[in-house]
Amino acid sequence: MRMMMLGVRNLFRNKVRLAIVALLVAVPAFLLLVMQAIGDAIQEQTRILRENVDTALQVRAAGSMGHVNMVGQDALLHGTAPAAVRAIPNVVKVEPYMLAMTPTEGHNFAMHVGVNPGDRKRLESHGEAGNPRIIAGRDFTPEDQGQDVAIIGRGYARWAGIVPENFAGKAMVVDPTRSSSIIYRLDRPPHPLRIIGIYASGYVFGDMQLFMPLETFRRIYEVPQGISWLFVTAASVDDVPAIVRGIRDSLGPQVDIIAPKHAAVFEGTTTRAILRLARAGSLLALALMGIVLFFVMLFLVRERAREIGTLKAIGGSDGGLVAQFLTEAALLTALGTLLGVALFRVWGAAAASRLFAVSVSPFLPPQYKDTLFPSLAIHTAVDAPTLGLALGAAIVVAALGSAYGLWQVVNLSPVEAMRHE
Amino acid sequence: MSKSKPLIELRDVAKHYGKGGQVVRALDGVDLEIRDGGMVAIVGPSGSGKSTLLHLIGGMDRPTRGSVTVAGRGLGDLPRRDLTRFRRDTVGFVFQSFNLIPNLTAEENVVLPMEFAKVPKPEARRRGRAVLGRVGLASRMHHRPGELSGGEQQRVAIARALANNPPLVLADEPTGNLDSETGQSIYALLREIGRELTVMVVTHAEPLARTADQVLHLKDGRLQEAQPRSGGVP
Repeated sequence: MRMMMLGVRNLFRNKVRLAIVALLVAVPAFLLLVMQAIGDAIQEQTRILRENVDTALQVRAAGSMGHVNMVGQDALLHGTAPAAVRAIPNVVKVEPYMLAMTPTEGHNFAMHVGVNPGDRKRLESHGEAGNPRIIAGRDFTPEDQGQDVAIIGRGYARWAGIVPENFAGKAMVVDPTRSSSIIYRLDRPPHPLRIIGIYASGYVFGDMQLFMPLETFRRIYEVPQGISWLFVTAASVDDVPAIVRGIRDSLGPQVDIIAPKHAAVFEGTTTRAILRLARAGSLLALALMGIVLFFVMLFLVRERAREIGTLKAIGGSDGGLVAQFLTEAALLTALGTLLGVALFRVWGAAAASRLFAVSVSPFLPPQYKDTLFPSLAIHTAVDAPTLGLALGAAIVVAALGSAYGLWQVVNLSPVEAMRHE
Repeated sequence: MSKSKPLIELRDVAKHYGKGGQVVRALDGVDLEIRDGGMVAIVGPSGSGKSTLLHLIGGMDRPTRGSVTVAGRGLGDLPRRDLTRFRRDTVGFVFQSFNLIPNLTAEENVVLPMEFAKVPKPEARRRGRAVLGRVGLASRMHHRPGELSGGEQQRVAIARALANNPPLVLADEPTGNLDSETGQSIYALLREIGRELTVMVVTHAEPLARTADQVLHLKDGRLQEAQPRSGGVP
């Protein structure tokens, strides 16, 4: 016990050195937490996909994309479809969508989507990622139904010269007369919508959408009836096959039912790749911490060789000396880890962004390279179990990192220790 | 001298080191008996093996050959744990550079060996204060080594050596880092301790050595002669 107390006191012998070493330990601890946060965020993203996407069926008119102004793809579902589907057992939610296309340079087109406020915002383009997250402004409220307001994707906003930092008062003009080879002109007057929020989806095409309240869409495009898409949410993934049969029975063969497997695909590719990189990064951070401690402890053993010899000469046991140095190493690591946690709280999100860009993005499919990170929710709050785990891992690394130094302490005779100086 | 078993007994003791591919014979065939009580000075030129002899007797190092017996215990084959216990209970060390723990007070330095011996804390503190009083440092017990003079630090080191009431105190050039006046006072203190315990002192200072009860001369790792002095150990 006494030797452990000596270890505690030794820690504060040289405060400048303590600060430097704590910082050296804090950097890998910080990197470890950042890597952990990236891994957690991507797992959370996958969970959301699994829960909210793979339980949702998309229903649309047979052979049609359901876009009100797309050449040959403008057939809509009948307006009674939602009520019919709602009656099917284990259907927990039915969300009607209205969709129109508008030409844009660069991306070819953007999507204008009408949804009921409170309904989930989904992505049209291939739908490989489905978690649009508001990154600026606010989401729709029930009061927005029928109002001239919109939430715009980050990419579409950038195309329109709207940036998240300064979008207040900005408007986006919806012009149904704009056309292209696959988009036909609708003779409706252009209509400005006030931007109330900006979202990021993690997917480059997914960011090219403009969400507006369903009734606003119907008014602008003058489509009082019909539904582009119907999203039907099942109570669980297991209920999906029975619901598919139920839809087929009630709506007949004139509809296409698409049961997405996006989460599985996303998990099998992107999630797995990111988790592997995050784990490799975590291991590297731990190894770096171990290397720092290895050299620090080696230095301390060399520096205090005479003291070690003296303690042995006056009856200090090998176990006691090991306890002393181990206590010092463990406290040093714990201090460094706590400092790392503090740094993570302040700069964790910014560092995660940088680290993701440098170490993860280059390995992602092109459509996720620049867009996935903004859609991830990086949590820089460290809860007690995570803190305990980080401290535990750090202390294990401290023991491993200081093992060689401690082995030297144990194996030196008092005289050798004094000569070792 | 009494005819009881000697406190220290060395038989054909050798200590060889490898240094730069060559074998250095620090000690070579030393036979020695030291009986209980009194002050023994070990003198000799640099590199003659004085400190090595002290280290072997104190269980700080192991001989290459021969047997070292102290207080009835053969040190050559003692397990490491028992050797630690031997150093803690049987020997008190005093070093040339004092070797105090810099971030502990004088009292804490003295109490440390007693804590290793698991002496209850109040008892250890009481004894620590008593022994610091004996070396004349009762008023300096709360000072750290950096706040003490060289002579005071060596007194703390002597107090620490006495903490566990060992029968043997080993001092390796205890006056080597002190001015002559302070050195003499330290030597006087060791001589006084030598009235109750056995004190072995390695020294270069022949005049001081001559005041010891017994003087051992070492040269090239060999004991030249043992010189019991008149008025020495009864």
